[in-house]
Amino acid sequence: MLSVVGLRKRYGEVVALDGFELDVGVGEIVGLVGHNGAGKTTFARAVAALFRPDAGEIRIDGRQVTHRRRLPHELGLAPQELALFPTTARENLRYAGRLYGLGRRLLAERIEEVAEALGLTELLPRPVEELSGGQQRRLHAAAAMLHRPRVLLLDEPTVGADPVTRELLLRAVRVMAEQGTAVVYTTHYLPELDVLDATLAVADHGRVIARGARAELLAALPGRVTLTFADGAGLRFPGDLREQDTRADGDDVVITAIDPAAAAARLLAANPEHAARLRSIAMDAPSLDDLYRELLTRNGA
Amino acid sequence: MALELAGVRRFAAVARHQCVLMAGDPGPLIAFTVIPMVLVSVIRPMMVLLAAVRPDDGTDGTAQATAGMAVMFSLFVLKLVGAGLLDERTTWHTWDRVRASPARLGEILLGKAAPMFAFLLVQQLLLFGFSAGVFGLRPARGWWPVLLVSVAWPLCVLALGTGASTLVRTSAQLSAVGDISAVVTTIMAGALVPSAMLPGWMRHLGPCTPGYWAMSAYRSALTGRAPHGLVVSLAVLAGFALAGLAAGAWAGRRASR
Repeated sequence: MLSVVGLRKRYGEVVALDGFELDVGVGEIVGLVGHNGAGKTTFARAVAALFRPDAGEIRIDGRQVTHRRRLPHELGLAPQELALFPTTARENLRYAGRLYGLGRRLLAERIEEVAEALGLTELLPRPVEELSGGQQRRLHAAAAMLHRPRVLLLDEPTVGADPVTRELLLRAVRVMAEQGTAVVYTTHYLPELDVLDATLAVADHGRVIARGARAELLAALPGRVTLTFADGAGLRFPGDLREQDTRADGDDVVITAIDPAAAAARLLAANPEHAARLRSIAMDAPSLDDLYRELLTRNGA
Repeated sequence: MALELAGVRRFAAVARHQCVLMAGDPGPLIAFTVIPMVLVSVIRPMMVLLAAVRPDDGTDGTAQATAGMAVMFSLFVLKLVGAGLLDERTTWHTWDRVRASPARLGEILLGKAAPMFAFLLVQQLLLFGFSAGVFGLRPARGWWPVLLVSVAWPLCVLALGTGASTLVRTSAQLSAVGDISAVVTTIMAGALVPSAMLPGWMRHLGPCTPGYWAMSAYRSALTGRAPHGLVVSLAVLAGFALAGLAAGAWAGRRASR
Protein backbone atom coordinates (compact mmCIF):
# COMPACT_ATOMS: atom_id res chain seq x y z
CA MET A 1 0.00 0.00 0.00
CA LEU A 2 2.79 2.43 0.94
CA SER A 3 6.13 2.12 -0.75
CA VAL A 4 9.03 4.47 -0.07
CA VAL A 5 12.29 4.02 -1.95
CA GLY A 6 15.58 5.87 -1.58
CA LEU A 7 14.15 8.95 0.08
CA ARG A 8 16.75 11.66 0.67
CA LYS A 9 16.50 15.07 2.25
CA ARG A 10 19.26 17.38 3.40
CA TYR A 11 18.86 20.66 5.30
CA GLY A 12 22.20 22.39 4.85
CA GLU A 13 24.74 20.19 6.60
CA VAL A 14 22.08 18.07 8.28
CA VAL A 15 21.06 14.88 6.52
CA ALA A 16 17.47 14.22 7.60
CA LEU A 17 16.77 11.31 5.24
CA ASP A 18 19.57 9.25 3.74
CA GLY A 19 18.01 6.65 1.49
CA PHE A 20 14.97 5.91 3.65
CA GLU A 21 13.11 2.83 2.42
CA LEU A 22 9.90 1.32 3.75
CA ASP A 23 7.11 -0.87 2.42
CA VAL A 24 3.85 -1.22 4.31
CA GLY A 25 1.21 -3.69 3.19
CA VAL A 26 -2.57 -3.47 3.34
CA GLY A 27 -3.70 -3.89 6.94
CA GLU A 28 -0.13 -3.98 8.21
CA ILE A 29 1.00 -2.00 11.24
CA VAL A 30 4.66 -1.05 11.12
CA GLY A 31 6.26 0.10 14.33
CA LEU A 32 8.78 2.71 13.28
CA VAL A 33 11.32 3.18 16.03
CA GLY A 34 14.53 5.13 16.30
CA HIS A 35 16.15 7.75 18.47
CA ASN A 36 15.24 11.43 18.12
CA GLY A 37 16.61 12.77 14.85
CA ALA A 38 16.60 9.37 13.15
CA GLY A 39 14.35 10.72 10.40
CA LYS A 40 10.95 9.39 11.50
CA THR A 41 9.12 12.72 11.51
CA THR A 42 10.77 13.88 8.28
CA PHE A 43 9.67 10.62 6.67
CA ALA A 44 6.05 11.20 7.77
CA ARG A 45 6.11 14.79 6.45
CA ALA A 46 7.56 13.56 3.16
CA VAL A 47 4.75 11.03 2.68
CA ALA A 48 2.27 13.84 3.34
CA ALA A 49 4.10 15.82 0.60
CA LEU A 50 4.75 18.70 2.97
CA PHE A 51 8.13 19.35 1.37
CA ARG A 52 10.10 18.37 -1.69
CA PRO A 53 12.54 15.50 -1.07
CA ASP A 54 15.96 15.76 -2.76
CA ALA A 55 15.58 12.25 -4.17
CA GLY A 56 13.53 9.09 -3.85
CA GLU A 57 10.06 7.90 -4.62
CA ILE A 58 6.88 7.58 -2.58
CA ARG A 59 3.96 5.52 -3.83
CA ILE A 60 0.57 4.93 -2.28
CA ASP A 61 -1.31 2.05 -3.84
CA GLY A 62 1.03 2.29 -6.83
CA ARG A 63 0.42 5.97 -7.42
CA GLN A 64 3.38 8.28 -7.05
CA VAL A 65 3.20 11.06 -4.48
CA THR A 66 5.00 14.29 -5.26
CA HIS A 67 4.94 17.77 -3.84
CA ARG A 68 2.72 18.82 -6.73
CA ARG A 69 0.65 15.64 -6.92
CA ARG A 70 -0.45 14.76 -3.42
CA LEU A 71 -2.85 12.00 -2.43
CA PRO A 72 -4.37 13.56 0.66
CA HIS A 73 -7.57 11.52 0.66
CA GLU A 74 -5.52 8.34 1.00
CA LEU A 75 -3.52 9.65 3.93
CA GLY A 76 -4.18 10.38 7.59
CA LEU A 77 -1.47 12.24 9.45
CA ALA A 78 -1.25 12.81 13.18
CA PRO A 79 1.97 14.78 13.62
CA GLN A 80 4.10 14.43 16.70
CA GLU A 81 3.01 17.72 18.21
CA LEU A 82 -0.63 18.13 19.19
CA ALA A 83 -2.38 19.91 16.33
CA LEU A 84 -5.65 21.24 17.73
CA PHE A 85 -7.53 24.48 17.30
CA PRO A 86 -8.79 26.43 20.32
CA THR A 87 -12.40 25.47 19.60
CA THR A 88 -14.54 22.62 20.85
CA ALA A 89 -13.55 19.00 20.29
CA ARG A 90 -16.49 18.59 17.92
CA GLU A 91 -15.53 21.66 15.90
CA ASN A 92 -11.98 20.31 15.53
CA LEU A 93 -13.37 17.10 14.07
CA ARG A 94 -15.92 18.92 11.93
CA TYR A 95 -13.21 21.05 10.36
CA ALA A 96 -11.01 18.02 9.71
CA GLY A 97 -13.91 16.19 8.08
CA ARG A 98 -14.99 19.15 5.96
CA LEU A 99 -11.47 19.58 4.59
CA TYR A 100 -11.72 15.99 3.36
CA GLY A 101 -15.08 16.69 1.75
CA LEU A 102 -17.27 14.67 4.13
CA GLY A 103 -20.92 15.69 3.73
CA ARG A 104 -23.00 16.81 6.68
CA ARG A 105 -24.65 13.47 7.46
CA LEU A 106 -21.59 11.33 6.84
CA LEU A 107 -19.48 13.72 8.88
CA ALA A 108 -21.86 13.51 11.84
CA GLU A 109 -21.81 9.71 11.63
CA ARG A 110 -18.03 9.54 11.44
CA ILE A 111 -17.60 11.94 14.35
CA GLU A 112 -19.87 9.81 16.52
CA GLU A 113 -18.06 6.68 15.40
CA VAL A 114 -14.53 7.86 15.99
CA ALA A 115 -15.50 9.63 19.22
CA GLU A 116 -16.98 6.42 20.57
CA ALA A 117 -13.92 4.40 19.56
CA LEU A 118 -11.61 6.83 21.33
CA GLY A 119 -13.78 7.58 24.36
CA LEU A 120 -14.50 11.16 23.30
CA THR A 121 -18.29 11.12 23.02
CA GLU A 122 -18.94 13.02 26.25
CA LEU A 123 -16.12 15.42 25.50
CA LEU A 124 -17.26 16.59 22.07
CA PRO A 125 -18.98 19.81 23.27
CA ARG A 126 -16.02 20.81 25.45
CA PRO A 127 -13.38 23.36 24.47
CA VAL A 128 -10.02 21.79 23.72
CA GLU A 129 -8.27 23.76 26.47
CA GLU A 130 -10.54 22.07 29.03
CA LEU A 131 -9.48 18.58 27.93
CA SER A 132 -6.69 16.70 29.68
CA GLY A 133 -3.47 15.93 27.85
CA GLY A 134 -4.58 12.36 27.19
CA GLN A 135 -7.97 13.47 25.89
CA GLN A 136 -6.28 15.95 23.57
CA ARG A 137 -4.02 13.14 22.33
CA ARG A 138 -7.08 11.06 21.46
CA LEU A 139 -8.77 13.98 19.71
CA HIS A 140 -5.56 14.63 17.76
CA ALA A 141 -5.52 11.02 16.54
CA ALA A 142 -9.27 11.03 15.87
CA ALA A 143 -8.87 13.93 13.44
CA ALA A 144 -6.43 11.82 11.41
CA MET A 145 -8.72 8.77 11.37
CA LEU A 146 -11.99 10.52 10.60
CA HIS A 147 -11.87 10.23 6.81
CA ARG A 148 -10.79 6.57 6.96
CA PRO A 149 -7.47 6.93 5.18
CA ARG A 150 -5.82 3.95 3.52
CA VAL A 151 -2.46 4.97 4.97
CA LEU A 152 -2.30 6.25 8.53
CA LEU A 153 0.82 7.93 9.88
CA LEU A 154 0.83 8.29 13.64
CA ASP A 155 3.92 10.07 14.91
CA GLU A 156 4.37 9.18 18.58
CA PRO A 157 0.62 9.24 19.27
CA THR A 158 0.89 8.12 22.88
CA VAL A 159 3.72 10.30 24.08
CA GLY A 160 2.84 11.40 27.60
CA ALA A 161 -0.49 9.56 27.41
CA ASP A 162 -2.21 7.95 30.39
CA PRO A 163 -2.92 4.19 30.34
CA VAL A 164 -6.58 4.68 29.33
CA THR A 165 -5.61 6.84 26.37
CA ARG A 166 -2.92 4.37 25.38
CA GLU A 167 -5.32 1.45 25.48
CA LEU A 168 -8.04 3.26 23.51
CA LEU A 169 -5.59 4.49 20.88
CA LEU A 170 -3.97 1.11 20.40
CA ARG A 171 -7.37 -0.52 20.08
CA ALA A 172 -8.51 2.04 17.51
CA VAL A 173 -5.31 1.55 15.50
CA ARG A 174 -5.80 -2.22 15.51
CA VAL A 175 -9.38 -1.81 14.28
CA MET A 176 -8.25 0.46 11.45
CA ALA A 177 -5.60 -2.07 10.42
CA GLU A 178 -8.20 -4.85 10.48
CA GLN A 179 -10.25 -2.76 8.08
CA GLY A 180 -7.26 -2.64 5.70
CA THR A 181 -5.49 0.58 6.61
CA ALA A 182 -1.70 0.50 6.36
CA VAL A 183 -0.38 2.05 9.56
CA VAL A 184 3.02 3.52 10.31
CA TYR A 185 3.19 3.86 14.05
CA THR A 186 6.15 5.83 15.33
CA THR A 187 6.93 5.27 18.98
CA HIS A 188 9.54 5.09 21.69
CA TYR A 189 7.34 2.75 23.78
CA LEU A 190 8.33 -0.58 22.30
CA PRO A 191 5.89 -2.77 24.30
CA GLU A 192 3.09 -1.03 22.36
CA LEU A 193 4.30 -2.81 19.25
CA ASP A 194 3.61 -6.17 20.91
CA VAL A 195 0.07 -5.03 21.69
CA LEU A 196 -0.38 -3.90 18.08
CA ASP A 197 1.24 -7.06 16.73
CA ALA A 198 3.25 -4.73 14.54
CA THR A 199 6.13 -5.51 12.27
CA LEU A 200 9.22 -3.49 13.00
CA ALA A 201 11.30 -0.90 11.21
CA VAL A 202 14.27 0.62 12.98
CA ALA A 203 15.42 4.00 11.69
CA ASP A 204 18.80 5.53 12.31
CA HIS A 205 20.63 8.43 10.67
CA GLY A 206 17.87 8.91 8.12
CA ARG A 207 17.47 5.35 6.93
CA VAL A 208 15.87 2.08 7.96
CA ILE A 209 18.57 -0.24 9.34
CA ALA A 210 16.33 -3.20 10.19
CA ARG A 211 12.94 -4.26 8.90
CA GLY A 212 10.87 -7.37 9.45
CA ALA A 213 8.63 -9.31 11.79
CA ARG A 214 9.44 -8.81 15.45
CA ALA A 215 9.91 -12.54 16.02
CA GLU A 216 12.38 -12.85 13.13
CA LEU A 217 14.44 -9.92 14.28
CA LEU A 218 14.38 -11.07 17.88
CA ALA A 219 15.39 -14.60 16.89
CA ALA A 220 18.73 -13.24 15.74
CA LEU A 221 19.41 -11.82 19.18
CA PRO A 222 20.91 -13.86 22.02
CA GLY A 223 18.75 -14.59 25.06
CA ARG A 224 19.88 -15.21 28.62
CA VAL A 225 19.43 -18.10 31.03
CA THR A 226 20.37 -17.97 34.70
CA LEU A 227 20.97 -21.28 36.50
CA THR A 228 21.15 -21.16 40.28
CA PHE A 229 22.85 -24.06 42.05
CA ALA A 230 22.92 -24.98 45.73
CA ASP A 231 26.68 -25.15 45.28
CA GLY A 232 28.20 -24.08 42.00
CA ALA A 233 31.79 -24.91 42.88
CA GLY A 234 33.60 -27.08 40.36
CA LEU A 235 31.31 -26.49 37.42
CA ARG A 236 32.89 -27.39 34.09
CA PHE A 237 31.98 -25.40 31.00
CA PRO A 238 31.73 -27.34 27.76
CA GLY A 239 33.97 -26.12 24.98
CA ASP A 240 31.17 -24.89 22.74
CA LEU A 241 30.04 -22.37 25.37
CA ARG A 242 32.30 -19.46 24.70
CA GLU A 243 33.87 -17.88 27.74
CA GLN A 244 32.49 -14.43 26.97
CA ASP A 245 28.95 -15.85 26.81
CA THR A 246 29.12 -17.48 30.20
CA ARG A 247 29.43 -15.75 33.53
CA ALA A 248 29.63 -17.44 36.93
CA ASP A 249 28.51 -15.27 39.82
CA GLY A 250 28.72 -17.22 43.10
CA ASP A 251 26.21 -20.04 42.76
CA ASP A 252 24.59 -18.41 39.71
CA VAL A 253 25.65 -19.14 36.15
CA VAL A 254 24.44 -16.73 33.46
CA ILE A 255 24.66 -17.95 29.86
CA THR A 256 24.01 -15.64 26.92
CA ALA A 257 23.26 -17.54 23.71
CA ILE A 258 21.05 -17.57 20.63
CA ASP A 259 19.41 -20.70 22.04
CA PRO A 260 19.82 -20.30 25.80
CA ALA A 261 17.75 -23.41 26.66
CA ALA A 262 20.03 -25.64 24.58
CA ALA A 263 23.08 -24.01 26.12
CA ALA A 264 21.71 -24.68 29.62
CA ALA A 265 21.04 -28.32 28.69
CA ARG A 266 24.63 -28.68 27.47
CA LEU A 267 25.98 -27.20 30.70
CA LEU A 268 23.94 -29.62 32.79
CA ALA A 269 24.95 -32.54 30.57
CA ALA A 270 28.59 -31.63 31.10
CA ASN A 271 28.04 -31.45 34.88
CA PRO A 272 25.74 -34.37 35.82
CA GLU A 273 26.86 -34.25 39.45
CA HIS A 274 25.59 -30.63 39.69
CA ALA A 275 22.20 -31.37 38.17
CA ALA A 276 20.81 -32.52 41.51
CA ARG A 277 21.98 -29.26 43.06
CA LEU A 278 20.14 -27.11 40.56
CA ARG A 279 17.68 -24.87 42.40
CA SER A 280 16.20 -22.78 39.62
CA ILE A 281 16.41 -21.84 35.96
CA ALA A 282 15.34 -18.38 34.78
CA MET A 283 15.05 -17.58 31.08
CA ASP A 284 15.23 -14.00 29.80
CA ALA A 285 14.05 -13.74 26.20
CA PRO A 286 15.43 -10.73 24.33
CA SER A 287 13.02 -7.82 24.32
CA LEU A 288 12.37 -5.21 21.67
CA ASP A 289 14.38 -2.84 23.83
CA ASP A 290 17.35 -5.23 23.61
CA LEU A 291 16.90 -5.47 19.85
CA TYR A 292 16.70 -1.72 19.46
CA ARG A 293 19.84 -1.16 21.53
CA GLU A 294 21.71 -3.91 19.72
CA LEU A 295 20.81 -2.51 16.28
CA LEU A 296 21.81 1.01 17.21
CA THR A 297 25.06 -0.23 18.75
CA ARG A 298 25.86 -2.14 15.58
CA ASN A 299 25.07 0.96 13.54
CA GLY A 300 27.40 3.04 15.70
CA ALA A 301 24.68 5.27 17.16
CA MET B 1 -16.24 20.90 -12.55
CA ALA B 2 -16.54 18.46 -9.66
CA LEU B 3 -13.00 19.29 -8.62
CA GLU B 4 -13.72 23.02 -8.72
CA LEU B 5 -16.82 22.49 -6.60
CA ALA B 6 -14.74 20.54 -4.11
CA GLY B 7 -12.31 23.46 -4.02
CA VAL B 8 -15.13 25.90 -3.30
CA ARG B 9 -16.35 23.61 -0.52
CA ARG B 10 -12.87 23.46 1.03
CA PHE B 11 -12.56 27.25 0.76
CA ALA B 12 -15.95 27.53 2.49
CA ALA B 13 -14.83 25.08 5.18
CA VAL B 14 -11.71 27.13 5.92
CA ALA B 15 -13.67 30.40 5.87
CA ARG B 16 -16.34 29.00 8.17
CA HIS B 17 -13.67 27.74 10.55
CA GLN B 18 -11.96 31.13 10.50
CA CYS B 19 -15.29 32.68 11.51
CA VAL B 20 -15.52 30.22 14.41
CA LEU B 21 -12.00 31.18 15.52
CA MET B 22 -12.79 34.90 15.26
CA ALA B 23 -16.05 34.46 17.15
CA GLY B 24 -14.15 32.64 19.87
CA ASP B 25 -11.98 35.68 20.49
CA PRO B 26 -14.07 38.73 19.56
CA GLY B 27 -12.41 41.21 21.94
CA PRO B 28 -9.82 42.67 19.54
CA LEU B 29 -12.35 42.88 16.72
CA ILE B 30 -14.85 44.77 18.86
CA ALA B 31 -12.10 47.06 20.15
CA PHE B 32 -10.81 47.78 16.64
CA THR B 33 -14.35 48.68 15.59
CA VAL B 34 -15.45 50.81 18.53
CA ILE B 35 -12.24 52.64 19.46
CA PRO B 36 -11.85 54.36 16.06
CA MET B 37 -15.32 55.85 16.48
CA VAL B 38 -14.41 57.12 19.93
CA LEU B 39 -11.12 58.54 18.66
CA VAL B 40 -12.76 60.24 15.70
CA SER B 41 -15.03 62.00 18.19
CA VAL B 42 -12.00 63.03 20.26
CA ILE B 43 -9.64 64.25 17.52
CA ARG B 44 -12.22 65.72 15.12
CA PRO B 45 -12.35 69.16 16.79
CA MET B 46 -8.56 69.38 16.58
CA MET B 47 -8.58 68.30 12.93
CA VAL B 48 -11.26 70.87 12.12
CA LEU B 49 -9.08 73.59 13.64
CA LEU B 50 -5.98 72.36 11.81
CA ALA B 51 -7.85 72.24 8.52
CA ALA B 52 -8.88 75.86 9.06
CA VAL B 53 -5.28 76.95 9.79
CA ARG B 54 -3.54 74.76 7.14
CA PRO B 55 -6.03 73.83 4.42
CA ASP B 56 -4.07 70.80 3.20
CA ASP B 57 -5.73 69.49 0.09
CA GLY B 58 -9.25 70.54 0.74
CA THR B 59 -9.88 67.74 3.23
CA ASP B 60 -12.07 68.96 6.03
CA GLY B 61 -11.42 68.02 9.65
CA THR B 62 -14.12 65.36 9.83
CA ALA B 63 -12.91 63.64 6.67
CA GLN B 64 -9.28 63.79 7.85
CA ALA B 65 -10.13 62.35 11.29
CA THR B 66 -12.32 59.59 9.88
CA ALA B 67 -9.94 58.55 7.10
CA GLY B 68 -7.01 58.68 9.54
CA MET B 69 -8.68 56.37 12.04
CA ALA B 70 -9.89 54.04 9.27
CA VAL B 71 -6.32 53.63 8.03
CA MET B 72 -4.75 53.44 11.49
CA PHE B 73 -7.05 50.76 12.87
CA SER B 74 -6.98 48.64 9.75
CA LEU B 75 -3.20 48.62 10.13
CA PHE B 76 -3.70 47.26 13.65
CA VAL B 77 -5.88 44.53 12.16
CA LEU B 78 -2.97 43.63 9.87
CA LYS B 79 -1.34 42.09 12.93
CA LEU B 80 -4.42 39.94 13.55
CA VAL B 81 -4.30 38.70 9.95
CA GLY B 82 -0.67 37.66 10.40
CA ALA B 83 -1.31 36.17 13.85
CA GLY B 84 -4.06 33.94 12.45
CA LEU B 85 -1.56 32.25 10.15
CA LEU B 86 1.35 32.33 12.57
CA ASP B 87 -0.68 30.66 15.35
CA GLU B 88 -1.36 27.72 13.04
CA ARG B 89 2.36 27.28 12.49
CA THR B 90 3.83 27.98 15.90
CA THR B 91 1.13 27.88 18.60
CA TRP B 92 -1.49 25.36 17.55
CA HIS B 93 0.82 23.36 15.24
CA THR B 94 -2.15 22.76 12.94
CA TRP B 95 -0.48 23.98 9.74
CA ASP B 96 1.00 20.61 8.73
CA ARG B 97 -2.30 18.87 9.34
CA VAL B 98 -4.27 21.36 7.26
CA ARG B 99 -1.61 21.36 4.52
CA ALA B 100 -1.70 17.55 4.46
CA SER B 101 -5.45 17.71 3.78
CA PRO B 102 -6.91 18.05 0.28
CA ALA B 103 -7.12 21.84 0.73
CA ARG B 104 -4.71 23.68 -1.58
CA LEU B 105 -2.59 26.52 -0.27
CA GLY B 106 -4.67 29.09 -2.18
CA GLU B 107 -7.91 27.70 -0.76
CA ILE B 108 -6.52 27.87 2.76
CA LEU B 109 -5.17 31.41 2.44
CA LEU B 110 -8.30 32.71 0.72
CA GLY B 111 -10.54 30.91 3.20
CA LYS B 112 -8.70 32.47 6.11
CA ALA B 113 -8.63 35.90 4.48
CA ALA B 114 -12.30 36.10 3.49
CA PRO B 115 -13.78 36.58 6.99
CA MET B 116 -11.01 39.04 7.85
CA PHE B 117 -11.83 40.96 4.68
CA ALA B 118 -15.48 41.03 5.66
CA PHE B 119 -14.53 42.32 9.09
CA LEU B 120 -12.25 45.04 7.69
CA LEU B 121 -14.93 46.13 5.24
CA VAL B 122 -17.53 46.33 8.01
CA GLN B 123 -15.04 48.17 10.25
CA GLN B 124 -14.40 50.80 7.56
CA LEU B 125 -18.04 51.19 6.60
CA LEU B 126 -19.23 51.45 10.21
CA LEU B 127 -16.67 54.16 10.87
CA PHE B 128 -17.66 56.19 7.82
CA GLY B 129 -21.33 55.55 8.61
CA PHE B 130 -20.73 56.81 12.14
CA SER B 131 -19.05 59.99 10.90
CA ALA B 132 -21.81 60.54 8.37
CA GLY B 133 -24.54 60.03 10.95
CA VAL B 134 -23.00 61.92 13.86
CA PHE B 135 -20.79 64.56 12.22
CA GLY B 136 -22.48 64.97 8.87
CA LEU B 137 -19.60 63.64 6.76
CA ARG B 138 -20.58 63.84 3.08
CA PRO B 139 -18.23 62.74 0.28
CA ALA B 140 -17.99 65.23 -2.59
CA ARG B 141 -18.87 62.67 -5.27
CA GLY B 142 -21.14 60.29 -3.37
CA TRP B 143 -20.30 57.14 -1.41
CA TRP B 144 -19.17 54.90 -4.29
CA PRO B 145 -15.54 56.10 -4.32
CA VAL B 146 -15.39 55.62 -0.53
CA LEU B 147 -16.81 52.13 -0.89
CA LEU B 148 -14.21 51.37 -3.56
CA VAL B 149 -11.35 52.39 -1.24
CA SER B 150 -13.01 50.51 1.63
CA VAL B 151 -12.72 47.36 -0.50
CA ALA B 152 -9.26 48.01 -1.95
CA TRP B 153 -7.49 49.02 1.26
CA PRO B 154 -8.58 45.91 3.26
CA LEU B 155 -7.42 43.73 0.36
CA CYS B 156 -4.03 45.41 0.55
CA VAL B 157 -3.94 44.97 4.35
CA LEU B 158 -4.75 41.26 3.98
CA ALA B 159 -2.02 40.75 1.41
CA LEU B 160 0.52 42.56 3.57
CA GLY B 161 -0.56 40.63 6.67
CA THR B 162 -0.23 37.33 4.84
CA GLY B 163 3.24 38.31 3.68
CA ALA B 164 4.27 39.47 7.15
CA SER B 165 3.13 36.21 8.75
CA THR B 166 5.43 34.19 6.50
CA LEU B 167 8.43 36.41 7.09
CA VAL B 168 8.38 36.37 10.91
CA ARG B 169 8.94 33.31 13.06
CA THR B 170 7.27 34.09 16.38
CA SER B 171 4.22 35.88 17.75
CA ALA B 172 6.54 38.25 19.63
CA GLN B 173 8.26 39.21 16.38
CA LEU B 174 4.92 39.71 14.66
CA SER B 175 3.62 41.76 17.56
CA ALA B 176 6.67 44.01 17.57
CA VAL B 177 6.79 44.40 13.79
CA GLY B 178 3.01 44.85 13.57
CA ASP B 179 2.70 47.46 16.31
CA ILE B 180 5.76 49.46 15.31
CA SER B 181 5.00 49.43 11.62
CA ALA B 182 1.34 50.33 12.29
CA VAL B 183 2.27 53.34 14.41
CA VAL B 184 5.10 54.52 12.13
CA THR B 185 3.00 54.04 9.03
CA THR B 186 0.04 55.80 10.62
CA ILE B 187 2.15 58.85 11.44
CA MET B 188 4.04 58.94 8.13
CA ALA B 189 0.82 58.43 6.21
CA GLY B 190 -0.63 61.58 7.72
CA ALA B 191 -3.39 59.57 9.33
CA LEU B 192 -2.80 60.91 12.82
CA VAL B 193 -1.63 64.40 11.90
CA PRO B 194 -2.23 65.92 8.44
CA SER B 195 0.76 65.39 6.14
CA ALA B 196 1.21 69.14 5.78
CA MET B 197 2.01 69.40 9.49
CA LEU B 198 4.71 66.71 9.43
CA PRO B 199 8.45 67.45 9.31
CA GLY B 200 9.78 67.69 5.78
CA TRP B 201 11.82 64.45 5.85
CA MET B 202 8.78 62.54 7.07
CA ARG B 203 6.63 64.00 4.32
CA HIS B 204 9.16 62.75 1.79
CA LEU B 205 9.24 59.24 3.28
CA GLY B 206 5.46 59.02 3.60
CA PRO B 207 4.87 57.71 0.06
CA CYS B 208 7.03 54.65 0.92
CA THR B 209 4.24 53.41 3.20
CA PRO B 210 0.97 51.81 2.06
CA GLY B 211 -0.91 53.85 4.65
CA TYR B 212 0.06 57.07 2.85
CA TRP B 213 -1.62 55.82 -0.31
CA ALA B 214 -4.66 54.63 1.60
CA MET B 215 -4.99 58.11 3.10
CA SER B 216 -4.51 59.61 -0.33
CA ALA B 217 -7.20 57.35 -1.76
CA TYR B 218 -9.64 58.18 1.04
CA ARG B 219 -8.96 61.90 0.68
CA SER B 220 -9.60 61.66 -3.05
CA ALA B 221 -12.78 59.70 -2.45
CA LEU B 222 -14.03 62.15 0.18
CA THR B 223 -13.01 65.48 -1.36
CA GLY B 224 -12.66 64.71 -5.03
CA ARG B 225 -9.30 66.47 -4.80
CA ALA B 226 -5.94 64.99 -3.81
CA PRO B 227 -2.37 65.26 -5.04
CA HIS B 228 -2.27 61.83 -6.63
CA GLY B 229 -5.89 61.11 -7.48
CA LEU B 230 -7.94 58.06 -6.68
CA VAL B 231 -6.78 55.83 -9.53
CA VAL B 232 -3.08 56.36 -8.90
CA SER B 233 -3.51 55.77 -5.17
CA LEU B 234 -5.42 52.54 -5.76
CA ALA B 235 -2.82 51.38 -8.27
CA VAL B 236 -0.02 51.92 -5.75
CA LEU B 237 -2.02 50.04 -3.10
CA ALA B 238 -2.38 47.17 -5.56
CA GLY B 239 1.40 47.24 -5.97
CA PHE B 240 1.90 46.98 -2.20
CA ALA B 241 -0.58 44.10 -2.11
CA LEU B 242 1.26 42.24 -4.85
CA ALA B 243 4.56 42.81 -3.06
CA GLY B 244 3.06 41.34 0.13
CA LEU B 245 1.72 38.32 -1.71
CA ALA B 246 5.03 37.84 -3.55
CA ALA B 247 6.90 37.91 -0.23
CA GLY B 248 4.45 35.37 1.17
CA ALA B 249 4.78 33.11 -1.86
CA TRP B 250 8.58 33.32 -1.74
CA ALA B 251 8.65 32.48 1.98
CA GLY B 252 6.09 29.71 1.46
CA ARG B 253 8.17 28.12 -1.31
CA ARG B 254 11.27 28.36 0.82
CA ALA B 255 9.46 26.67 3.74
CA SER B 256 8.31 23.75 1.57
CA ARG B 257 11.79 22.94 0.25
